[in-house]
Amino acid sequence: MEVFIQQILNSLSIASVIILIAVGITLIFGLTGIINFAHGELLMIGGITTWVFVHNGFSFLIALAAAIVVVGLIGFLLERGIFRFTLDNPMNGFIVSLGLIVVLQHVVVLLFDPNQKAIPRPLTTVWDVGDIRVAATRIMVIAVTAIVVALTFYVIARTRYGRALRASVADRETAYLMGIPVRRYVSAVFVVGSMLAGLGGAMLIALFPITPFTGSAIVIKGFAVALIGGLGNPGGAVVAGVVLGLVEGFSAGYGFSEWTDAYSFALMILILLVRPHGLLGGTEGPRVNS
Amino acid sequence: MPLLEIRGLKKRFGGVVALDGVDVDIDDGDILGIIGPNGSGKTTLFNVVAGVHKPTAGRVVWRGRDITGLATHQIARAGIARTFQQAMAFTGLSVGENVRIAFEHGAGDHQSGGSRWKSYEEILDFLELSEVAPELAGTLPFGHLRRLGIAIALAIKPHLLLLDEPAAGLNDGETTELAGIIQRLPGEGIGVCVVDHDMNLIAALCKRLAVLDFGTKIADGPADAVLRDPKVLEVYLGDAA
Amino acid sequence: MSTRNQMAGHDVTSAEGRSSSEANRSGGPERWLVVVAMFVALAALPWLTTETRLISLAITTGINVIALYGLAILFGQAGILSVGHAALMGIGAYAAAILARDFGLGFWAALPICAFLSAATAGLLGFPALRVSGHHFVILTFAFGQLLTIVLTNGGEFTGRATGLDIGPIETTFGLDFNSLAGMYLLTLAFVAISMAAAHFIDISAYGRTLRSIRENPQLAASVGIDVRFHKIGVFMVSGLFAGVSGVVLAYYFRHISPSLFGAFPSVYLAMMVMLGGSRLLFGPLGGAIIVSFLPEILDLDPVEARIAYGAILVGVILILPGGVIAGIGIILRKLVAMARRIRGLRFASIESERNAEGG
Repeated sequence: MEVFIQQILNSLSIASVIILIAVGITLIFGLTGIINFAHGELLMIGGITTWVFVHNGFSFLIALAAAIVVVGLIGFLLERGIFRFTLDNPMNGFIVSLGLIVVLQHVVVLLFDPNQKAIPRPLTTVWDVGDIRVAATRIMVIAVTAIVVALTFYVIARTRYGRALRASVADRETAYLMGIPVRRYVSAVFVVGSMLAGLGGAMLIALFPITPFTGSAIVIKGFAVALIGGLGNPGGAVVAGVVLGLVEGFSAGYGFSEWTDAYSFALMILILLVRPHGLLGGTEGPRVNS
Repeated sequence: MPLLEIRGLKKRFGGVVALDGVDVDIDDGDILGIIGPNGSGKTTLFNVVAGVHKPTAGRVVWRGRDITGLATHQIARAGIARTFQQAMAFTGLSVGENVRIAFEHGAGDHQSGGSRWKSYEEILDFLELSEVAPELAGTLPFGHLRRLGIAIALAIKPHLLLLDEPAAGLNDGETTELAGIIQRLPGEGIGVCVVDHDMNLIAALCKRLAVLDFGTKIADGPADAVLRDPKVLEVYLGDAA
Repeated sequence: MSTRNQMAGHDVTSAEGRSSSEANRSGGPERWLVVVAMFVALAALPWLTTETRLISLAITTGINVIALYGLAILFGQAGILSVGHAALMGIGAYAAAILARDFGLGFWAALPICAFLSAATAGLLGFPALRVSGHHFVILTFAFGQLLTIVLTNGGEFTGRATGLDIGPIETTFGLDFNSLAGMYLLTLAFVAISMAAAHFIDISAYGRTLRSIRENPQLAASVGIDVRFHKIGVFMVSGLFAGVSGVVLAYYFRHISPSLFGAFPSVYLAMMVMLGGSRLLFGPLGGAIIVSFLPEILDLDPVEARIAYGAILVGVILILPGGVIAGIGIILRKLVAMARRIRGLRFASIESERNAEGG
């Protein structure tokens, strides 16, 4: 039982990182229809940035802030420089993201090296609750994710910016005609999504070492979660992320650890068979004029 | 026996009832017009018959065979062709290819109508599109695009053609040309059912009319009688009629 | 109504308003001469150079090209993007290795069986996966690639785990030994030619037209009697056939296969190659694979720099030349020819003859 809870806790901390990616992915898709496979690289750059700052003597908090800013900036540049030209044809955006994965990964390898990078855990306290070791860092990751996600939802559901965003997702043309600066929201969504990924990267490296290739390994889980929850549905991404975290924890705890990764994929295929729009229903992406 | 029999057709989308028990017959050689105010269910009727939606209740019988709920491609193969409200084409392909593809998939499991056209080029000729055959469908002016839609529909050698607002977006001259083309179809063995708002077109083409309002049929009969029916006038013009 | 925006993002209209894929098809006998000449020249390669590295590179390129023609049919014709193509190659390769090890079946027997198995896998995957939108499908194929890697790595002795499996040489056929470098090269070249021919015949056939109609407007396609779902699964299976054949050749060339060769990233590279070259042109897949394989050689880039270059070129190509590099070259050539004609002062006569050719 203790092993089970231990595993769940561990998996939830990883699931938190995945949720951060998934929410970014799903927000970007919902508004633009673009599937940005390079989103995982943004996570990785967030982690690398954190590493760079920590290794140069800065505190984790500052490194974290730096990661968010740097990755947010990169997201902005990518949107302005590349993705905005693919808005009329989101499939191109996807293809372009394939090229970006390769470029971003290998630029990092070029600038640094392909080896693992790690930082010391920002919080060293470990509580022993019975037989369970609860690392404060893991709790931090889960807590930070929960807070940030809650904030994101608040903005989407309760503020006028959120309303404008939801209107743009529902019908881009009409929102534009009603005076909503849709292009700006597209940039904003890219930036916010990237910042979430940057945060995720910082959280990830707080827990484990990363390599320049970590992003692509994790992004597929992010997509699986986004898909299972319903592409375009941030709430779905969160629910799916939690579900997946629990499923993986369960499997790892009971000894099927090599197959753990396979669960997200198998689950995704299964859900799509039964409910093609995801558990909580997604969007088809924006209606692109024809 | 009528070509197409629609009995008690109902369709609801969530809480909205688009069709509430519609009965309509189309006979061989008919040009039936279906009119009604916006939202009366005309396009939904077409979509259900053409297999885009499954009906909530009711039956569609085609040449004695129950085709209720079949998929779009199966209904096309059975010999019912349709055009779309928004002019549809294979935009990245040439006009010739557009019609050729339809011709190659021509309805197979039935005695075809329009059988005097032995090749897709002849259909292009009939619609006066031969000159633009090598052009990309996406570059066509709207009037030509509408004609292309009809060419594609005819190319599957149907026995019935459902025309969904074929005159929408056309000017008077183009509408007259269109009417001319449609009038020749019963002579080719193709029945026609037209949904449109353009009363000039409807009056010129249709000897019989059915009127829908809120998903039910409120009139059905010879065109001039229907157009004078007080119920119909009320629906279009309000109590002031 | 801009046609460039409307298209699935991967075609180019020439000034005359015809799609380049149609220009592709209306070739003419000179084109065939060029193709044959090209293959003859390529076949002579092993005797023109002693650099074995070059020939090895050519063989691996060729192996990719075989698979790429399948991907080009799937994406270029039907408009369905898959980043799971390498996984389908993997099915072919592993099946070949297992057939050799457990059933004593050699190269020639393995070919049809493995092609069939890859196609069948595609069919099984396509059945649920093609019900949903293109976006979902793409993600699913990516996941499939990862899933296959996991299954292969954890398949115990049967799949050789992470280290993989060994394959013996191709058995002597009619007294010919294909296992020399030159032999392998010619064998691969033959398969490339067959793949290209197959892709061409599909392109000009009614089947090709059906696929294109599904790409352009699936709703309209259904309304003319095309069973869209059936054809989507079918074309995915066709792409599997090509991938399976490629996998078998790969297995017998490298003589050792492991899961990492067939994961999600090799699939991404395949997709990149076909986009780079142009998925709707006859020479597109060939061009794309050659660029990706030989660019680092020509520019003397190390692997890391090379990959940055491909990625950057792909981004550039998609944004600037949606038809792919080969289409871009095609446009440039056409413009040069047009300029040359004008300069020759035969302007009016040549426009007339151009119009007559197009009307056909």
